[in-house]
Amino acid sequence: MREEYLLAALRMGAGADPVPEGVSASARAVFGLRVPGGVPAGPVDVSVPPGARSSSEAGAAPAGLRRFSADGLVIDVETTVADGHLEVAGQVSPAPGQDARIEVRTPHIAKVRVPSGSGHFAVAGLPPGWVSVVCHRPGHPPVFTRWIHARP
Amino acid sequence: MPTDNSLAIIDQAAWEDLVARFDGRMWAVARAFGLSAADAADAVQGAWLRLVENAGAIRDPERIGAWLVTTTRHEAARLSRRARGEVVSDLDVPDTALPDPTAAVVDAEFGRQVWRRLDLLGEPCRSLIRLYVLHPEARYAQIAVRLNLPVGSIGPTRARCMARLRTLVEEETS
Repeated sequence: MREEYLLAALRMGAGADPVPEGVSASARAVFGLRVPGGVPAGPVDVSVPPGARSSSEAGAAPAGLRRFSADGLVIDVETTVADGHLEVAGQVSPAPGQDARIEVRTPHIAKVRVPSGSGHFAVAGLPPGWVSVVCHRPGHPPVFTRWIHARP
Repeated sequence: MPTDNSLAIIDQAAWEDLVARFDGRMWAVARAFGLSAADAADAVQGAWLRLVENAGAIRDPERIGAWLVTTTRHEAARLSRRARGEVVSDLDVPDTALPDPTAAVVDAEFGRQVWRRLDLLGEPCRSLIRLYVLHPEARYAQIAVRLNLPVGSIGPTRARCMARLRTLVEEETS
């Protein structure tokens, strides 16, 4: 029996510290974040040549960079938190074209961008926390990344 | 008639029923890690987001609760390690087919039974665990002052007391 489960049961048994309504409301709202018919893009290991990007370890991806792949697409997502705001930049490969839309979502807000000719996109001014990227392409199901947690 | 038994076809009402049944347990698990309210909220929300991501992969509705609690523990542990300065991955997720079966003990009635077993322990275990449970953000230094114990002894004493309590509970449940 895990100690955390025992502690949690004790806390519930004491009626101490009930779940805040805001947490329950956020949980209910998660239902609206489904992507019906979407294709989940799983994480892929990222390695970069030494010196290509600043990094604490040669050959390792810089902190905050994740790569996802599905349905013939690779989605690179880099998160940065500065001055209390989350910035998300990335690239979809191969470039999905001007008809595509990149949706960067948090549980509270979503922003849509038209990718550049090379598939790059960037969004600033998001609240820190959970974030996911969805690539919408005409004639294809949307491809969405796993949720990433980004806080200072 | 749809034959898909996965969560991919769940509706808003069923989702809200899941939230009502399990969010208290998930919150209690996150707080059991000593997380702040903000971090615990992130851990719980993360588990729900993982459920959305994996909705199509969860075929056994009976296991959803255990999986949610397991995933909350996973997210809470990750946030706890990161708070200690460790570099952790945020992309590994518990197997949807293998939720931790012991997650079922996260239940208010079971908790009340454990409180009764706790009363069988002597001091300082009884007071220490009570403080640790009811004040999850309390630091060892604060607990040491309250119980008039050396701060260096709190960690080992807590581990010993929890082991004794776990043994008592497991004896009863077996």
